[in-house]
Amino acid sequence: MKENVIEISHLTKNYGKNRGIIDVSLEVKQGDIFGFIGPNGAGKSTTIRSMLGFLKPNAGSVSILGMDSVRDHEQILKEVGYMPSEAWFYDSMRVGDVIKYAADVRGIDCSSEAEMLCERLKVDTKKKIKQLSLGNRKKVSIVCAMQHKPKLFVFDEPTGGLDPLMQKKFFELINEYVEQGATCLLSTHVLSEVDKYCKTAAIMREGRLSMLDTPHIDDETFLSFYEDEEE
Amino acid sequence: MKTVIKREILLNIKNMLIWSLSVGILGLICILMYQSMEGEMKDMADAFSNMGAFSEAFGMSTLSIATLKGYFATEIGAVHGLGSCMFAAIVAINIISKEEEAHTGEFIFSLPLSRSKILTAKLICVAVMLIVFTCICTVFYLIGFKVVGEEVSTDQFFTFMGRQLLMNAEVAGICFGLSSISGKNHMGLGLGMALLFYAYDVMGRVIPDLKDYLFIGPYSYANAAEIFTDAETPVKAIVLAVVILIAGVAYAFWNFERRDLAS
Repeated sequence: MKENVIEISHLTKNYGKNRGIIDVSLEVKQGDIFGFIGPNGAGKSTTIRSMLGFLKPNAGSVSILGMDSVRDHEQILKEVGYMPSEAWFYDSMRVGDVIKYAADVRGIDCSSEAEMLCERLKVDTKKKIKQLSLGNRKKVSIVCAMQHKPKLFVFDEPTGGLDPLMQKKFFELINEYVEQGATCLLSTHVLSEVDKYCKTAAIMREGRLSMLDTPHIDDETFLSFYEDEEE
Repeated sequence: MKTVIKREILLNIKNMLIWSLSVGILGLICILMYQSMEGEMKDMADAFSNMGAFSEAFGMSTLSIATLKGYFATEIGAVHGLGSCMFAAIVAINIISKEEEAHTGEFIFSLPLSRSKILTAKLICVAVMLIVFTCICTVFYLIGFKVVGEEVSTDQFFTFMGRQLLMNAEVAGICFGLSSISGKNHMGLGLGMALLFYAYDVMGRVIPDLKDYLFIGPYSYANAAEIFTDAETPVKAIVLAVVILIAGVAYAFWNFERRDLAS
């Protein structure tokens, strides 16, 4: 029996009068690639940001790798590789400096892994951040999230802005890390990604989470999740 | 945490060099101008010392601007006071909020450091910036004294620079607290506050009814004219400054630890 890497229990977060997420409970097992789908504003990013301590939940609890998300916040972040939906860094820094900075804060030498990732994702470490397109910033973000070989990856809409070849390489990398024992939570709008790479999946609608029986769903079912939201 | 301190210093060093060199060089030029203006100063000094409340407000009733000490206290004292206060406000007012404003928060706060540690690193960076700023300006002023070949009491000069540093720290402490409130750019607020404190001090010295409340403002204990005439140390104002500084910093930690971070 594989251990739960993520355990979310009755998590609720609201923004004043605005809905955030309501009573979300979720378990993700070690070695899983967990697809997290749902329309814009459904609460996917709120769930992820609450898990990582960016948001302070109103109720509920989150346990990651057996640690409490509030009490063991720093320890958890050591074991997590996070890629936000918008990859922003300090404009004046060079790519190589950003990657080294992320490794240095972690207090570990990630140079060989970072080199391998930069080579495979074709990241130019000499360029300044302000010279990069969204896609290239996302590649830097992938390197920062992967270079320390975390036990858990959390990706929030990672492939937006990446060209198809880079998307393929990105998922190859995820599969390699998962084969080595990592776990991945993947928030996405892309059905083919869920169908092709995810082992389990859940849908978020209007702040509530429902587990899907299978991540292999057809286009119509997938779109119906979005249509229901609009109606 | 050392890595974050180093990075914050690198991100702010250009700004600090621009401000310290500007204020320092401006101060140096003013000191050097003293030599060429020395002859005319005597008549001006008499006129300036007889302008009633305004002479008092700018310290010209107690110090003669015909002496280097008086000239430094009234002219460079004002330039340094205003310049350093604006720099302190600028460096501290966005040091926390910039992460959310520039969307870099999701990068830095996803690294394995608590919010308190990141804030501590930013606080240390602000302190380093203010100390280096003061040191650079001090060097320029000392060069100026050396070039004009006149001596200013070392005790009084270093007391003035020390009190200015405390004033800068107090303003920075307030701005540090404000910076923790939201992820918006508060540059206008910081600069406005620096100017408001200066105006409050000038008004407080001109309007008799305000004199009793002058100690509230950060310029009150850093007034060059008072320091260079060996006026009594304004203990009440200094204690209040330290309390405000600590309160601003404590508020930043308390508030930032409990609130949501914008993406």
